[in-house]
Amino acid sequence: MTFTRQGTCLFRPQFGILYRHAVPMGTTANEEMNRFWAKNNKLNRPMSPHLTIYKWSMPMMMSITHRGTGVGLSGGISAFALLALVLPGNYPYYLDLIHSLSVGPALLGLAKFGIAFPLSYHTLNGIRHLFWDSGKGFKIPEVYRSGYVVIALSILTSIAAISYM
Amino acid sequence: MAAIVRISSVCNRGVKPLFYRSSLLSRPLVAQQKDQERSYPLTARIHGSTSLYAGSGSKAASLHWTGERVVSVLLLAMGPAAYYFPGPAVDYSLAAALTLHGHWGIGQVLTDYVHGEPKIKMANAGLFLLSTVTFAGLCYFNYNDVGICKAVALLWSK
Repeated sequence: MTFTRQGTCLFRPQFGILYRHAVPMGTTANEEMNRFWAKNNKLNRPMSPHLTIYKWSMPMMMSITHRGTGVGLSGGISAFALLALVLPGNYPYYLDLIHSLSVGPALLGLAKFGIAFPLSYHTLNGIRHLFWDSGKGFKIPEVYRSGYVVIALSILTSIAAISYM
Repeated sequence: MAAIVRISSVCNRGVKPLFYRSSLLSRPLVAQQKDQERSYPLTARIHGSTSLYAGSGSKAASLHWTGERVVSVLLLAMGPAAYYFPGPAVDYSLAAALTLHGHWGIGQVLTDYVHGEPKIKMANAGLFLLSTVTFAGLCYFNYNDVGICKAVALLWSK
């Protein structure tokens, strides 16, 4: 006795007869998202609690930190570019100005760490993201392991960068 | 649903094989029926791929995604490039890659948190303005000042 494997046939376009009940998607994901928000805002529906009720996990925290460091770094670059356009003097002048304030090595190291850590974290976690984009490393233990590696390496490379010069 | 019982099996091999046979026969029959039941709504749930509905699909989103990853990889490569080959070529490439990566990145943040057609348009316009000014500022810095690579080197030497 045989029975056809109907599951596979459904995905071949030449079996048009099986598609007579199929409706092609008329909307993009973006359109559907906008419709969702328009409808719910119009009905004045409150948003369900989410951040306040779900238990925070390591991957969650790393993800939002990736976003936070990204936004922070981007803001820093934009601020730098704006200042370059607006301020009268040149870069070495302002660098000497800051240096003459004699902030002390501890604060200087802290400031360098404040730049180095977001950069190294975002870069290393970015590499982790690229691995995910290639389809690798999605098993939960792998997610946690790669996460810990990123955190450890970020701290190490930041400290190395500070101690370097 | 009931097993197909062949008289010959009863006659020739006794009762026991009959039981085994009936259970073997009934299961595939049930499975086949379930298959048929499920295949009907399955066809209805099938969303056509882009090849099905003529031309109304756009590859823009998918190409954007790929572009984001390409720029990310390029930016990664520019780290060692800036360290080992500092100079105007890397300076301007860095300005372009940093601005584009940041522009697309913030764009994703806005898509996630800003809703409503007019707000989305305004936010994206603001972002476009910011990115333009950022790129202009970085190029200005590269042209009229020490350049990005040198700036980082000087900053770190203090």
